[in-house]
Amino acid sequence: MAKTPKFPNPSFWKYKDHMDIAAQVDNLKEIYGICADMAKEADWPAFGKHLLQGWKDFGNRVADEYNTFKGYSKDEQLDIILNGEKHLGRLYKSGSMATVRREWRGIRDTAYDFYEWGRMWYMLLSTFSRDLIPAANGMLYYRWYVSYFCCHSFMDKNTIGQRGRALRMSHELIYPIFRYVAENLVFLSKCDEKNGNCTELSKKVVLIDEMTMGQIMAGFPDLLGIPYQLLPVFLVSEIDQLTCVPYIDAVESYGLPSDTCPVPSSECGAIVIDALPHLGACFISSSMPCDGSTMASSYMGRRFPNLKTFHLCFPVRYLDEETVQCGAEDIKACIKFIEETTGSHWNWDAYFSAMKRFNQETAYELQKWEVNKTDYPQILGPCYELYRKWNYEMDGGTDPRIMKTSEKVNKLLLEAYRNKDEAWVGKMRHRAIVWSCPAHYYANFSNWAANCWGINVLVEMESLNFTKQLATDDKEEAMRDLARLYERMVMRRHTNGGYQNVVDELWRQCEAWNVNFIIMYQNVACKNMATLQGVLDEQGRERGMHMIWVEHDLMDPRTVSRRTMRDKVSNYMQTVMQEEPVDPSLVDFEDDVTW
Amino acid sequence: MKDLKHLIYFESLLESANNELVQQAQKDGKLAMGYTCFHIPEVLLNVDNCFSVRLRAPNTGSIDIATYYMSNYTCEYARALTERAIEGGYQFLDAMIGVDACSMMNRAMEHFELLQVNSKPKFFVTHTDMPYKITDYTLESYIKQMRLRVLDRMTEVYGVDTSDAAIRKAVAEHNEVCRIISEIAEMRKADNPVITGYEFHILCLVTYTCPKYLIIDKLRETLEELKQRKPDAKPQFRARVAIVGSEIDDPGLTKLIEGCGALIVSDRFCFGSTPGREVIELNDEEDALTQICRHYMEVAECARYISDEKVKQRRETSDRLAREYKADGIIYEQMKYCDYWGFERTLVSHVMAEEYGWPVLSIDRLYITAGSGQLRTRVQAFVESLEIKRIHKEEGKN
Repeated sequence: MAKTPKFPNPSFWKYKDHMDIAAQVDNLKEIYGICADMAKEADWPAFGKHLLQGWKDFGNRVADEYNTFKGYSKDEQLDIILNGEKHLGRLYKSGSMATVRREWRGIRDTAYDFYEWGRMWYMLLSTFSRDLIPAANGMLYYRWYVSYFCCHSFMDKNTIGQRGRALRMSHELIYPIFRYVAENLVFLSKCDEKNGNCTELSKKVVLIDEMTMGQIMAGFPDLLGIPYQLLPVFLVSEIDQLTCVPYIDAVESYGLPSDTCPVPSSECGAIVIDALPHLGACFISSSMPCDGSTMASSYMGRRFPNLKTFHLCFPVRYLDEETVQCGAEDIKACIKFIEETTGSHWNWDAYFSAMKRFNQETAYELQKWEVNKTDYPQILGPCYELYRKWNYEMDGGTDPRIMKTSEKVNKLLLEAYRNKDEAWVGKMRHRAIVWSCPAHYYANFSNWAANCWGINVLVEMESLNFTKQLATDDKEEAMRDLARLYERMVMRRHTNGGYQNVVDELWRQCEAWNVNFIIMYQNVACKNMATLQGVLDEQGRERGMHMIWVEHDLMDPRTVSRRTMRDKVSNYMQTVMQEEPVDPSLVDFEDDVTW
Repeated sequence: MKDLKHLIYFESLLESANNELVQQAQKDGKLAMGYTCFHIPEVLLNVDNCFSVRLRAPNTGSIDIATYYMSNYTCEYARALTERAIEGGYQFLDAMIGVDACSMMNRAMEHFELLQVNSKPKFFVTHTDMPYKITDYTLESYIKQMRLRVLDRMTEVYGVDTSDAAIRKAVAEHNEVCRIISEIAEMRKADNPVITGYEFHILCLVTYTCPKYLIIDKLRETLEELKQRKPDAKPQFRARVAIVGSEIDDPGLTKLIEGCGALIVSDRFCFGSTPGREVIELNDEEDALTQICRHYMEVAECARYISDEKVKQRRETSDRLAREYKADGIIYEQMKYCDYWGFERTLVSHVMAEEYGWPVLSIDRLYITAGSGQLRTRVQAFVESLEIKRIHKEEGKN
């Protein structure tokens, strides 16, 4: 049996950097100048006052928590020590970027949580140390880079309220995503002309439009595919929602109307303020998932006129099998373009091996769905939702290490199901589905809904994608399958190709998952979804669904804040459902700047 | 200038989608094929006993019901069509030929289906997939879509003859209209043209919205009239502008712009003459459908075409038209909430100014704009800036 190749390709780390030291010194001088100006302009007495107030608040909070704990009965105190705290709103402090402390999850789970915290730090440090200087230097060039320092907060936020196997599964799922981020951050820094300037590796980099799936790179194991805007724009905004605000402002100042989707707007804004590293042999732009994304590619062309670009365009009416061959031919043309641009050759063996893994991962995913459709759903929350999206879209079977994660998680999943665990202990009131463009990562929404109101999001629209086993022997059919897969990328699967894919599909899924709550995200700029709001509303009412419309503007919290989003659910639960919250401390809190 | 003989009549035809010529054609036993987008080759909807009607929603007032269905952040053209359809304004149609080119227009067509806005027993809505770039395989796919989703549907439902001969006949009639419009368009190159942008827009709109066989005589007559028409001794306009952008079916907008002193000499927008009124040259070696599809792909100026050569083509076309028609500046416009033209207008208005050296006015606008004071102010300011530039040029300043 052939040995599974290491991932990422070990040779990628070995290429030498050609850093321009003089340019780095100049940049350091500039940074020093900025810091000096900030120090000069800072109101130090106010800062001191603020610091002092922070310590006073800390003292008051500790005293308050102590007194509260003392006020509980012995049984309640024991329960808190063993099973964790119940009032999670206490973790938030107005105007504070970090939570006031880590969550107490009970002795066993807190210990495990700290282990995962340490494991994450170890992974990050060991990955960054593989090429430390450019990796650290990235911070001095790109403001988004610094936001990745909040990744532990993101991990904590996404697991808030979780215990036992649910917590373990979440940690297992979020870890490979951060490993992927860390590795690609290092590669980006290493190749960036302004930074590591590793020209040999840069020649092997194929930049992919962030919303385009990565499976095509499985046939080029000697090349490095990087979703170009993913780290500087999309993923970082999930971690720190304020990161993209300067991008949006920049492109709107340039003239772009503010009614466009913040995703392509942010991508274009990042181009306007030069927030993207300069690297790569070529760029694969794409027409997906929607009209705005299609248009963003011309901004790339304007900023990087010498970067060879292929426009990967798939038919929109993807259910029409007559269109599939056109998509397959475009993939073939794209492969040819990559071959011609990089000198590399498409490797069918590598591709088929990766797709076999991807098929297996899809089978694992279906197993998760089966469990969640039962009366004992087990794998809930943003870590799972993010993992599904990342695995489907970015990883796509290319990283062999992910198989272990899938195996481990599904083992835990079945154990939990057999044991009839509660994914959120004592908080399982309502079964819900999330529909439309989701904003729950920015807002930690599905986690909050469960912890505050017992609304358990069993599945979200973006998870429900293509589950067909892809062809792994017939080369022609493999191309057609890849086209079918790409056409059903995250979001596009539902928002394109006809209303049936998002309207009829919703009712079908509600029945399959036995849900009667729909968290209907309403991205104010998503025209594909906005143009169906009346039909969804009418048909939802006819079916007696509890539809909670939650307006948002993805990575632009100035349009709709996270607090406003939560209010929509709380108002519905209080006025329509006449319910009391599971955790009253989470009904209203301020987290406008909290990571 | 002396008024054009048929202008008022043409204007009256634009007061309703179901105008008297559409009604006349249906009395003649013809089938009305509705469509909205350039991506659908108009000529294919004029085969045999069919005639095309490019949909407009003239005199749109409230679009509240469509806003309920489609939200208030979406294209007003799409919403106006949906509103008019719900009101029963497109009951006369025998089919609606939809394109999945932009999401909002596609959804508007889907609402025709979902809300069952047309009660004719054989009425159908069909949806077609459109290419994003020109390659041999996208052309093949486009042809297949037009054959399977348009022509075959027309044959299945109404027994329409969609043979190569029938298509060639439709092309001949189409070309005659195009030749007339193109000849009239050429007149706008004169230093003191005999036709205004508004009048030309009316003529263009009529050719898109009326059965061609019923309008062609009056178009011919208008062409002859224009050949004899004397321009005003002193032009009434202070500057010449080219318009580039998304859909404009509201002659009120062209009237508003010209009312500010800007003569529109070139119309590179949907419902304009470029693209749309180019003669389709057919050879006998290849089937007509293939040649038509290729023609439409090549002349298309839609911002949706993503490939580099089409991006370049759009900029080159704007520049070429502005030069050929001696424009002093370019107005880039978009229908508000249009994603394609929102991104395109923003970027290319910079490109045209910085790389091509054109003075550019960049605007977004509502579907019905005639009453927009804000827009009027912006156009007036643009006209003034063009005048100042001209004065500076005459004085030898930069």
